[in-house]
Amino acid sequence: QGTDVKFGSLKQDTSAPVEVTADALAVNQNAGTALYTGNVVIIQGDMRLAAPRVLVVYSEAQGRIERMEATGGVTLVSGEEAAEAERADYDIEGGTVVMSGNVLLTQGQNALTSEKMVVNLESGAAQMSGRVKTILQPEKGQ
Amino acid sequence: MVRRIGLYSRVIAWLKILLPLAALVLLSTLFLLSRSTEQVLDMPFAEALRGEGIAREHVGAPYYAGTTESGDMLTMTATSAAPEGEGQIRAEDLAARLRKPDGSEILLNAAHATVRDSDQTALMEGGVRIESSSGYVLNTQTLNSAINRIEAESGGPVQGDGPLGTIEAGKMRIETSDEDGGVQLLFTEGVKLVYTPKD
Repeated sequence: QGTDVKFGSLKQDTSAPVEVTADALAVNQNAGTALYTGNVVIIQGDMRLAAPRVLVVYSEAQGRIERMEATGGVTLVSGEEAAEAERADYDIEGGTVVMSGNVLLTQGQNALTSEKMVVNLESGAAQMSGRVKTILQPEKGQ
Repeated sequence: MVRRIGLYSRVIAWLKILLPLAALVLLSTLFLLSRSTEQVLDMPFAEALRGEGIAREHVGAPYYAGTTESGDMLTMTATSAAPEGEGQIRAEDLAARLRKPDGSEILLNAAHATVRDSDQTALMEGGVRIESSSGYVLNTQTLNSAINRIEAESGGPVQGDGPLGTIEAGKMRIETSDEDGGVQLLFTEGVKLVYTPKD
């Protein structure tokens, strides 16, 4: 069973430039991969994805990035929503972020946990699946 | 009457002495009292020849080619190369090409370089441009590259473009990766890359 969640502020232009900063980068030309290590931060629009290790798979021919695999504890922050997971696969072209491994999504006061979450950056919708638990904070002062 | 004692012969006898003496005196004025001619020393000396071009021996348009143990082909050309003592050669406008057996290659261009025979390295300075067959064009100030294997390290920050976008890093190393033997670029000391997705 899955839960659809509005990841409101995450709707953004997926063709905005992606900026990646890290301590080190190892590019293996034959394999067509680039491995960022050391507090890696990926920023696109107002979305920030931080992880200690990000592997980027790119196709040299068209000179574009196919996907990014962030591992080792990932935090995804956008607007006032934040999501944490062990791993995140970011497909720039498709505009989706798939987070897996005890995902925790916090939206303001509410928090949801699940095994997996697929965030669609174009529509800003997040689809959580696998033992979804919701923790709703009752509004104070009712 | 007896002619007076040969006045005529006495005059001739005196003349025989005086006339040669006069000749000698005249002749000597030609050498001893001649005008002082100007010095030969300050002859104009061609300024161009005085420059260092002539002073040291150097090779024009040198060409060096070599193969490393792992089969990478290295060729180096320059506009001029001059020995600098203890096995060091200084080359101007050095262009080096490292070519791997699988065809991928790296081109290095530098304003000038000091090639050291002792540890088989070339220290490139004055702005180095690194181009790799996979689309990386990077610039840095200095690069120390080995010439008998693929290994190089930039002396300072490097910036440029690659298939992943524009890239800036504090330092860069080029080496052969041990697992698949391909060329690996290691950017360290802070990396920033801006990638613009192609729609």
